[in-house]
Amino acid sequence: MDQESELTSEQSLKLIATMISRAKNEFYDTGLSALLWGSLVIVCSCLSYANHYLDWPVLRYAWWLMVVAVVPQVFISVREAKARRHKSHRDDLIGGIWISFGIAIFLFSYLDSQMTIKHDASIYLTLFAIPTFATGYGRRFQPMIFGGVACWVLAIVSLRSDYPEALIPMAGGALLAWFVPGLILRKRYLAAKRKHVQRP
Amino acid sequence: MFKDLNPILHSQLRLAVVSLLITVKEAEFTFLREKTNATAGNLSVQINKLKEAGYIDVTKSFKDNYPQTICKITAAGVKAFEEYVRDLQAYLNIKK
Repeated sequence: MDQESELTSEQSLKLIATMISRAKNEFYDTGLSALLWGSLVIVCSCLSYANHYLDWPVLRYAWWLMVVAVVPQVFISVREAKARRHKSHRDDLIGGIWISFGIAIFLFSYLDSQMTIKHDASIYLTLFAIPTFATGYGRRFQPMIFGGVACWVLAIVSLRSDYPEALIPMAGGALLAWFVPGLILRKRYLAAKRKHVQRP
Repeated sequence: MFKDLNPILHSQLRLAVVSLLITVKEAEFTFLREKTNATAGNLSVQINKLKEAGYIDVTKSFKDNYPQTICKITAAGVKAFEEYVRDLQAYLNIKK
């Protein structure tokens, strides 16, 4: 870009619009967080479902994997923050939504363990949808918008199912809201990385 | 009478940099270079001009043993940009 070019008013406005659009459409996400939580919820739901018939004592603790996963999540978040080349106001907002979701889900898990809430899977799915839809909407990332809506639909399906069948929509929600968008983000991230490496 | 456009902002690369920084909270030098397709030397000169005008803050540090330059728009920069856009719009409306 040549800074000495004489700009007309129209060119100036066009340049402003182009730059704002370039910055707005940029977001950094390796997809690892979505893959981590998506795969974990799928695995835990399937293990709980299987355990309804197997009744293995060790499988009763499957959901504790969610607590353990906080450690790699912190590691992923720190690495992504270090690699990020810009910070947007929107990223702060989305970060706040995910932190509040994390607190809400752990608080609800505690309540659930104390009170044994009926149709808890539908409440989890309703909660899953909120940050997923907000992220997709804020970033104009359609797979997450679709994933969020799918979670709400599956919450209704789950509400009308008995345990352990209610765990199947839960696994489906994690697949559509996080695992599939995570794969898309990962593919996009690796493609961008390859492009940077190839650039002279 | 047309109000003169701010000469600091009425330059292709400086205007591009300020437009990017108005959208984000802060950005690294490499991000600005990639989005503007400018050369490092040219961009560095224009960033210094914006810094001298008080429109952006520049923080230099090290990340993984590599120098890192982070740019952030100031309140004066936001005000100047808003005025510049208003002047442009006024100019275009009168011309039409």
